[in-house]
Amino acid sequence: MATTARSRPATKSAPAKRKPPAKAKPPSDDIPPLEWISAAIGLVCALVAIGFVGWDALLGERSPPAIEVRLTAVTPTPHGFVAEVDAINHGGSPAAQVVIEGVLSGQGEAETAQATLDYIPERSRAEGGLVFEHDPRAGRLVLRAKGFADAS
Amino acid sequence: MHANAVYGRALARAFGGALLFSFPLLMTMEMWSLGMAVERARLLVFLLLSLPMLLGLSYYAGFEPTFRLKDEVLDALAAFGVGFLLSAALLATFGVLGRHGLFSQADLGKVALCAVPGAIGALVAGKQLGEGSPSSREKSEAGTLGETFLMAVGALFLAFNVAPTEEMILIAYQMGPLQALLLMALSVLLLHAFVYRLGFPGESRRREAGGFLRTFVGFTAPGYGVALIVSLYLLWTFGRTDGVAPHEIATMTIVLAFPAALGAATARLVV
Repeated sequence: MATTARSRPATKSAPAKRKPPAKAKPPSDDIPPLEWISAAIGLVCALVAIGFVGWDALLGERSPPAIEVRLTAVTPTPHGFVAEVDAINHGGSPAAQVVIEGVLSGQGEAETAQATLDYIPERSRAEGGLVFEHDPRAGRLVLRAKGFADAS
Repeated sequence: MHANAVYGRALARAFGGALLFSFPLLMTMEMWSLGMAVERARLLVFLLLSLPMLLGLSYYAGFEPTFRLKDEVLDALAAFGVGFLLSAALLATFGVLGRHGLFSQADLGKVALCAVPGAIGALVAGKQLGEGSPSSREKSEAGTLGETFLMAVGALFLAFNVAPTEEMILIAYQMGPLQALLLMALSVLLLHAFVYRLGFPGESRRREAGGFLRTFVGFTAPGYGVALIVSLYLLWTFGRTDGVAPHEIATMTIVLAFPAALGAATARLVV
């Protein structure tokens, strides 16, 4: 409504070229292309969100978290050897406050380091680090997740 | 092209509105963890409910001065798109996304959850930030159903801002039964005062004619009822009610119904 009202002075001064195409269609029906485009983008967003969430809700499996801890890199620092680890949740449910532990043996007394990862969604990965006094590459390093809390 | 330019401006306003309304949530930690942890079936229900709600809201406060069904549908979809894209862009900027591998379910949950308040903001912006208010004529004609709907959206909107936080549960734990009843009375009182006494723009005067009892039964009581239902629904959606004793759920609902009641009361102001 406001559109037609505003364009009226323009059509008076400008050549009357603009008026006929506007009149050709009923004025109540001329939806600008941009509106169609943005609505289409919105529709795609809605379908993606609902589609993925619905697919997960209806068909996703609900197995308990199964967390694998994997060593990715060891960096010697002045404050100990930093072992960067990936914790991968292969299960079908998320896990929160995951405690991961690394036990390093083979160089005298066994050395234990642990860290807590806030959250690992299902089939996803989270990163953390364990700090040891001795080089983990030299000894035998056993990595595992010790426990977790139910998410939410 | 002229129509495109006008629509483009409306769209830019919608982005502005979505930003203003949703950034507190986008910058709240609980929203991120809830986006990951919310049970997928409940998130699905929430998303499916949000579309008709946006459609209704578009009818009352669309960012285009139109009243036809096709336009309302287009506006509602565009608003969802605005909320979704804005959430995705901002969350990515904040470094919230992509921590568990690109394009994971967790990230989609975060974006989808934040998209809904953003979409409400996008639609409301048409009225709040726009020149004039094309829908004011319609709103004064809104019937009881429309009135209730607007109250529900207002309640949802304000309650949504605090519902994800831990504080809601903490407050519920700290309150005794007497304090819960007191808060309930306060909510009802404020709801009534906001709607009929304080003289905010947009408050309805005509129902005042029926006298205190009638306005109370006809508006305030249903308004508080709507606030309670919306609160309980939000708590359920966020998984706050799981395994919790009934009286504790009731207290949590009353706590959340306080902002919800304020939202219902000021729905005409905000929405």
